Amino acid sequence: MKIDAPFVEKVLCAFIREELKKFGFRKGILGLSGGLDSSVCAALAAKAIGRKNVLGMILPYKNTFGRDVEDARLLARKLGIPTRLIDIAPMVDAYFSQYPTDNRIRIGNKMARERMSILYDHSVIERALVLGTSNKTELLIGYGTIHGDMACAINPLGDLYKTQVRALAAHLRLPSRILKKEPTAGLWPGQTDEGEIGLSYEEIDRILYQLVDERKTPDEVIASGFGKDAVKRIETLLINSEFKRKMPPIAKISARTIGHDFLYSYDRNR
Amino acid sequence: MKTVLAQISPHLGDVEKNLDLHLRTIATARKKNADLVVFPELSLTGYTLMDLVPDVALEPDNHPQFRKLVLASQKIDIALGFVEERGKGLFYNSAAYLSAGRILHIHRKAFLPTGGMFEEAKFFARGQTFQTFTSRFGKTGLMICRDFLSPGAGYLYLAGRADIIIVLSAAPGRGMTAGNAFATSRMWELMGETISFFSTAFVIYCNRAGFEDGKAFAGGSFVFGPDGRRRVKAAEAEEALVIADLPLEDIRAARKKWTFLRDDRPEVILHSLQKIVGTHED
Repeated sequence: MKIDAPFVEKVLCAFIREELKKFGFRKGILGLSGGLDSSVCAALAAKAIGRKNVLGMILPYKNTFGRDVEDARLLARKLGIPTRLIDIAPMVDAYFSQYPTDNRIRIGNKMARERMSILYDHSVIERALVLGTSNKTELLIGYGTIHGDMACAINPLGDLYKTQVRALAAHLRLPSRILKKEPTAGLWPGQTDEGEIGLSYEEIDRILYQLVDERKTPDEVIASGFGKDAVKRIETLLINSEFKRKMPPIAKISARTIGHDFLYSYDRNR
Repeated sequence: MKTVLAQISPHLGDVEKNLDLHLRTIATARKKNADLVVFPELSLTGYTLMDLVPDVALEPDNHPQFRKLVLASQKIDIALGFVEERGKGLFYNSAAYLSAGRILHIHRKAFLPTGGMFEEAKFFARGQTFQTFTSRFGKTGLMICRDFLSPGAGYLYLAGRADIIIVLSAAPGRGMTAGNAFATSRMWELMGETISFFSTAFVIYCNRAGFEDGKAFAGGSFVFGPDGRRRVKAAEAEEALVIADLPLEDIRAARKKWTFLRDDRPEVILHSLQKIVGTHED
């Protein structure tokens, strides 16, 4: 699972630069949470297209994640990228005043989609493409809000496991506060991914790497030294989140149908 | 033989833009007094074509855009990749060798990778032969990407007495474990080293760069000499133009030293193959 970080940096920067160019954009926009993934993505984008062409959107709910806002600002200062801060509380509160709930998942998903909505709106204002920050681990276990933080135009990080993103972050010399931060989906204060899943990211990644990259069976992964419960839990998350990684199926009734036999590349004629 | 490896990044599905890119690159190669310029697989069209295949296909004998390339080969030989249409509606992933203002040879990709990230057999017809032809540099054989990873296809050019094997490639990089390169880059060099040494022939491998739908084409074009030594190597995963001065006398020198070619016994291979093919079980 080791990566050659300088080479990965080179490829991912080229990816960002070339995709933007193909679609006629000079700028990228992304949400800055103060966490590892968005920090790495911002750092890569700043290197790829120039720091002034990257806009970091800091989108807190009131001051729930106070330190995260500070960290996002710290990162933006270090990278020299402009930021814009918008408190999403008025929009989110307006909705839940009509449909009150204490369901933390619903509230968290609403916040993620509010941020997405703001990012896409500002991408029009700025003529910028939305850069995704979902890593391979969370994409594989479905640890993201569909049409929320998973929404983007291009995703430079989607083939790097969380621990590999961490290695890349160290190579990019991101602030140590961000490097050491506990990963969180940010659905509610005090939530941590590892606490919720009950496994460390090192464990999750090594299980996923064997299942996905090495195409081992769950039994083979268990035989390699992982607990049966842990492997089964990851396998279930993997299977149950397939819908988040796909375009929704279209009922095929015509002779030529989008997604079935109307087959073109994203980058066609670019 | 001064050779330019044009490690370009074609525009997906835009023949006009790619024609322009070819003509500019050919002009650059001529300025450098090159004898041969090699482009990657499907250099005129881009790789991940899918349903665009019929839209970018052309019949090379009477196509105005292709004619421009043929004319450009009057003072420099050109190997390039394109979608060839034959018999109205049969589409091949083909490579053309142009020289002295005419089409000297066309090779149709025989091994169409289909599986995992590759879908070529869904969109292309299969080529049937590996035939050497005589270029002004000697006996020459063309291959396209996955063709080269078949040791049998490599052997056919040995049996065909090739002096120069030209491989046009659009190989995406896979695997991050190698130092400063994709893990798969080693695979191509491994075959390059092997085929060049045991065929005592030059192997010229031109891969492309750029991205299509997130796939990074790995670049890393190279030439191995008839002694099995690497002569040049282009940058990994970025566009590049590499010039290699390839002394053709090295072929004879290698064959004086190593008699693999002289000792080859195609009739034994053929006889054995016939027996193997005859007894293949499903």
